[in-house]
Amino acid sequence: MSTIILIFIIFLGGAILTFLASALKGILKEVLFLASVFVPVVLFFTNISIGQTFSFQAAGFAFQWGITPLSYVFALIVAGLGLMAAIYAVSAMRNKENTGFFYFNYILTIMSMLGILFSRDLVSFFIFWEIMTWSSYLMVVYQGKDVQTVGIKYFIFSAVGAYAMLMAIVVVYSLTGSMMIDSLVQSFPGFSFDMQLLIPILLLIGFGVKSAMMPLHVWAPGAYSHAPMAYSSIFSGALSKMGIYGMVIVMVSLISHIPEGHWFREVIAWLGGITAVMGTLWAIKQDDAKKLLAYSSIGQLGYIIVGVGIGTPLAMMSGLFLAVMHALFKGTLFMVVGAIERQTGTSNLTEVTGLIRKMPWTFLASLFSIIALAGIPPLGGFIGKWMLYESLIVSDHYLLVIVIFFSSTAAFLYCYKFLFGFFLGQEETEWSHVKEAPAMMVVPMLILAVSTFVLGVFPGLILNPINEAMQTLGYANTQGHLWEMSVIFNEWGNQVAMQPIVYTIIGIFLFFLTFLTIKGYKETRYVTTKDISSSGEVPKEHENLTFSMNFMQPFFRAVEPLMRRQIDKYYNGFANGMEALFDFTRRIYTGNGQTYAMYVVIFVVLLLLLKTPFSDN
Amino acid sequence: MESIWYKILGAIITVIVAFIVGLTYMGLSRKITARIQNRKGPPFYQNFIDALKLASKTSAIHHGFMQHVGPAFMMITSIMSVLVVPILTGDQWFSNLNFKGDLIFLLYIMVFGPLGMALGAGQTGNPNSAIGVTRGLSQMVGFEIPWVMALVALMMQYKTTSIVDLINIQQEQGVWLMFSSPFAFIAAVLAMLGMFRYSPFDIVGAPTELASGPVSENGGKYLFTLMSSNSIFAFAKLTLYVDLFLGGASNIVELLIKTFAIYLIPMLYGTVSPRYRTEQAIKYFWGWPLFFGFLALLYAAIF
Amino acid sequence: MVGSPVLLIAIPLLAAFVIPLIGMIWKELVRIIPGLVLAYMLILSATLLYYVSYNGTIVETIAGWQAPWGINLDFSPLTGFLATLMSALGFLVWLFSYRFKRNVDFEPAKKYFIFLMLLIAGAIGIVITGDIFNQFVFIEITGISAYALTAFYTGRNSAEASFKYLMMGAMASSFLLVAIAILYSQLGTLNMADIASKMHTMNPTYKIIALIFFITGIGIEAEIFPLNGWAPDAYTEAPGPVGAAFAGIVVKAGVYAIIRMIFTLFDVPGAYDFLIAIGLITLIVAETSALRQEKLKRMLAYSSIGQMGLVIVAFGIGTHEGVFAALFLMLNHAVIKPLLFFSGSSLVFNSKKKQIAEMNGLGKRMPLMAAFFSLGAFAIVGLPPFAGFWSKLSVLSAAANEGLLLIIVLILIVSVIEIVYYFRVVNRIFFQEYSKEQSVVPHRPRINAMVAMFVLAIAILIIGFYPDAVTGILHNAAKDLMNTDQYINNVLQLGQSLTR
Repeated sequence: MSTIILIFIIFLGGAILTFLASALKGILKEVLFLASVFVPVVLFFTNISIGQTFSFQAAGFAFQWGITPLSYVFALIVAGLGLMAAIYAVSAMRNKENTGFFYFNYILTIMSMLGILFSRDLVSFFIFWEIMTWSSYLMVVYQGKDVQTVGIKYFIFSAVGAYAMLMAIVVVYSLTGSMMIDSLVQSFPGFSFDMQLLIPILLLIGFGVKSAMMPLHVWAPGAYSHAPMAYSSIFSGALSKMGIYGMVIVMVSLISHIPEGHWFREVIAWLGGITAVMGTLWAIKQDDAKKLLAYSSIGQLGYIIVGVGIGTPLAMMSGLFLAVMHALFKGTLFMVVGAIERQTGTSNLTEVTGLIRKMPWTFLASLFSIIALAGIPPLGGFIGKWMLYESLIVSDHYLLVIVIFFSSTAAFLYCYKFLFGFFLGQEETEWSHVKEAPAMMVVPMLILAVSTFVLGVFPGLILNPINEAMQTLGYANTQGHLWEMSVIFNEWGNQVAMQPIVYTIIGIFLFFLTFLTIKGYKETRYVTTKDISSSGEVPKEHENLTFSMNFMQPFFRAVEPLMRRQIDKYYNGFANGMEALFDFTRRIYTGNGQTYAMYVVIFVVLLLLLKTPFSDN
Repeated sequence: MESIWYKILGAIITVIVAFIVGLTYMGLSRKITARIQNRKGPPFYQNFIDALKLASKTSAIHHGFMQHVGPAFMMITSIMSVLVVPILTGDQWFSNLNFKGDLIFLLYIMVFGPLGMALGAGQTGNPNSAIGVTRGLSQMVGFEIPWVMALVALMMQYKTTSIVDLINIQQEQGVWLMFSSPFAFIAAVLAMLGMFRYSPFDIVGAPTELASGPVSENGGKYLFTLMSSNSIFAFAKLTLYVDLFLGGASNIVELLIKTFAIYLIPMLYGTVSPRYRTEQAIKYFWGWPLFFGFLALLYAAIF
Repeated sequence: MVGSPVLLIAIPLLAAFVIPLIGMIWKELVRIIPGLVLAYMLILSATLLYYVSYNGTIVETIAGWQAPWGINLDFSPLTGFLATLMSALGFLVWLFSYRFKRNVDFEPAKKYFIFLMLLIAGAIGIVITGDIFNQFVFIEITGISAYALTAFYTGRNSAEASFKYLMMGAMASSFLLVAIAILYSQLGTLNMADIASKMHTMNPTYKIIALIFFITGIGIEAEIFPLNGWAPDAYTEAPGPVGAAFAGIVVKAGVYAIIRMIFTLFDVPGAYDFLIAIGLITLIVAETSALRQEKLKRMLAYSSIGQMGLVIVAFGIGTHEGVFAALFLMLNHAVIKPLLFFSGSSLVFNSKKKQIAEMNGLGKRMPLMAAFFSLGAFAIVGLPPFAGFWSKLSVLSAAANEGLLLIIVLILIVSVIEIVYYFRVVNRIFFQEYSKEQSVVPHRPRINAMVAMFVLAIAILIIGFYPDAVTGILHNAAKDLMNTDQYINNVLQLGQSLTR
């Protein structure tokens, strides 16, 4: 039996077995859960080679599964983050209700994401896409909060996206007679102009929804923040990347072959830019860390969309690299919030303060991830950001680069808000009981956080597979010309060499750390956060000095006009209008037999009157 | 191995020079401000005395690890920027990391320290510090935009993102960029007002209101490190302006003259201005500086 | 050969009359006999279907009168498929309602099973008969038993619903009779194959009028839009399993009759476009109405109407793929909708008002029922890997092959609405808190009902994961419907090609 099919059978069987085992006491379900994530992933890394395929026929369609260099990059994200989040989830979901249900959907999501990446034909792509949609939907409503608003909104947007994609798929099938992605790519340049426009637009709607692109993003804040954090970590980290994956295929393999492709790229890139700005601004405004991260995810995905949209070699590289990085740091951050919520019972930034001494490892993980998120050297986020800026500058996108820069500068605000809100500030007695999260939660976070550092110093580790993926997409080899193991170049030949920089930074840091620590170390003693200079007054133990309300108020006074219009309101208005309209159609069925009889008569009369179109010739 | 020690020695010399020059400039600025306000003012070497005093003191307390290492983070930024910015053109001793990082890298490494510092300030638990930090970050979003616009304009116009290349271009053409890209220069200078945090943009530290804001819980060696870091950073920024717009400097005297000339701008503007509130500051930066930034981009796009 | 197709009609009719007599011997037999009959019918029709798919259509003449003059039964891949489907569903409905009113009262149960048998006999008769008047008779049989089943609970609302149904049914009958009269006066025959072969000789005006009357008459049974006013009430008031039988059996027969008219009997050029138009209107009106319903069964009723609209659209596409897709949809609908009706009626079993709002938190109290309902909801909105997905895909790809992009868009928009109202219910069941004051008291269904639902659920999964299990049969059936000449030849045994 082919390993490919074996992987999916293990996933599916594992999901069902785990679900069944959840009725039993003991750790059987956890073991099964971990096994059914680990085993296929290990099989994937050991037994699957690029280009190996598996084909079969069903329902009159040809199916083909196999991995390409491009999907391999994304499979790295899914498999890596999936594993880490699985370990985390076992500990995080312990003692929760319905863990079997959680594990079931978790495994299905991982399976469907790998399935999407394996699919070489559109039908199985769509099937896995939909499985991913509903399994993630079940996770969004899992905690039972706002299910009728947030959950339904997520599903409506997903359905609209998926159905747009489905329409594109059947249209492609009617035009080419084949469901293979390759045959779509080959015959696309020969399509009529209408189809060349229609198909990418429909596909991009589908992918845009999942990657939370403006104006299709409104589901994301609620969905990301309502799912359990162990799941949000792959939801935002990996699942949204499926949209990016599809977008890469559309932007590169389809759109670059049509004469109007240039405009497409501009529009998508600008949508990405606006997404980045709006996501960032709204993220700053949030007081709930989950919401903050959700909006931040939207913003970060905006950068990735910009990179993919611009589509020059450097931009594409940056898009894919940022996709990997975003998976790492956003995955970690959602885990951090989950850990904090588990230990303190809330994820509200205005309530929790001063956890740094209670949860130092969690703090370390989030510090790394935040630095990576903010794009500050020497962590990996910087590499992606740098390549993005350079590609925009080199390709003459004057305004877009400013927009992106604005957004990533503003991102510092919520980065600081996140760290300050949770870990810094006054250590209130309310939280003095808080302990560090269990090791099974902390270790995955730290592994992911450290890998952002490793990728920052040696971006070539991940740029190598990205380079191979891009070569199969038709780009030239960029190794040595745009990147080396730890050096990145722009297309004008300017470079950033990470190794000397990192060594210098470490050197300076160690020097001053020693300087600050060594002399008089014994004299320096730790004092509590109540012992501060406050004009001579000494704050009492229970006096709350925490500053966390209206945290970035001055900033909002300045950017208020930008945030006055919310696209969400328009959607809600539309939905309400529709409901009212449908309430009206409901009244067609009056419940009165006479009316119904009259309908029959009217029907007959109308048909008799209109019979002319029926009469033969 | 020879070259690495050579480089490290060069770097140390650079940092020391930057430290001395920065402190001197600060002292001079205190003197000049005093003179404008019709006071006598402290001697220009007062800052050296202050630094020495702080360095020799032992700190009695700290508020935790982040606060402990905050000044070290700040130092990373200052020293990294001074190493990446070319100090003297064509000089082996001061080449440091000039070719290892470009403008975008510089922009980002410049926020590394303030953020680390902000984390340290956050851990002290002093509300004033946190308030100062939020103001500082907000203001940063304000002035970064025109500043980046100016830089992007330069990068696009001359098709390079390397500072060294920009200096070379100025020397080849014989025209300073402040004349060949005037709008970018204006936008950059206006942004610089915010970058130096002199009045009217000193609400971050606001000595009378916030008790110096972010630095308020630091004393002794912490404060010394912060102070020296500030002076090094100031020197780095001034040198960057000189490199970008005034054609760089080929010897130390030229460098001093040019940097001091640039330094006078925010200092003098500050002495005659009252203080802006944060949102006023942001709106200020998104007014004329932004307009000049757009002009600069337009100029770069056309030429 | 296990038996001939005529048994499919004769045996349930016979059973319906024998049941009260047998009931006098042993009351339990009233429940057992229908099951045995339906099981036999299922085996018979399945065997016959297997036979005809290799050996060609069976044409059974009744009482020795040859085709144009006598009544004949036509058991082709298409009609056989539908007959098998109906017997299978009938069996499941019986299984679900085996203990119906068992400990309460004997009389209602007797009536229930009698009318159920009549209903199934009538529906199968509509499908396999080859005579148009005979078909009318079967429509009447089906109708009458359906009215009776609607009024089963003998409440005020049931009576009203039944009366509406009856009134509409009466109108349907009159239209049908007029149409048949027109046909007979013009062509002098009542045999469908004969009519089909002579149709080109008919005066176009008469032809149109006859067709319109036919469509109106049968459209009432097939729940076409302005004619389906009875349906929501009837579904709501009838017992749960009857709703399933309506959705799975009666409506299918009605749709079959319309399709037979348009595909085989009448060669009216615009009819296919008419099907698409009327199907779309039905689909849109029904699904939008379903969105704001408060009662569960009523919502399911509208959803059922909408699905039938979609089936009609798919038939209206008129190509082999279209017909295949329509049959696939019918199959899926026949599998999924009964599951929804069964599990839904179990969920709200103890409720007086049967409202959706009362279903909060039932997922924890009745996990299996809730899971079945959710499975049905997932399947019917077309989420892979469940059954509904494949039919939706085939409808869309059939439409795309004909370039009907607007139809695709409309179908997909409606699907989104469908998703909304189904998932609102699923959300309530699973993810909202159970409250003692507002929610329904849980009811534990009997093992037989469980088995019935389990069979349907398994069927959904099998079709979902392995659609090829049914596509062969469906392709045969679709081929059969498309080939009018074959049909006429089979019945009349003319042995020559007829051109319309």
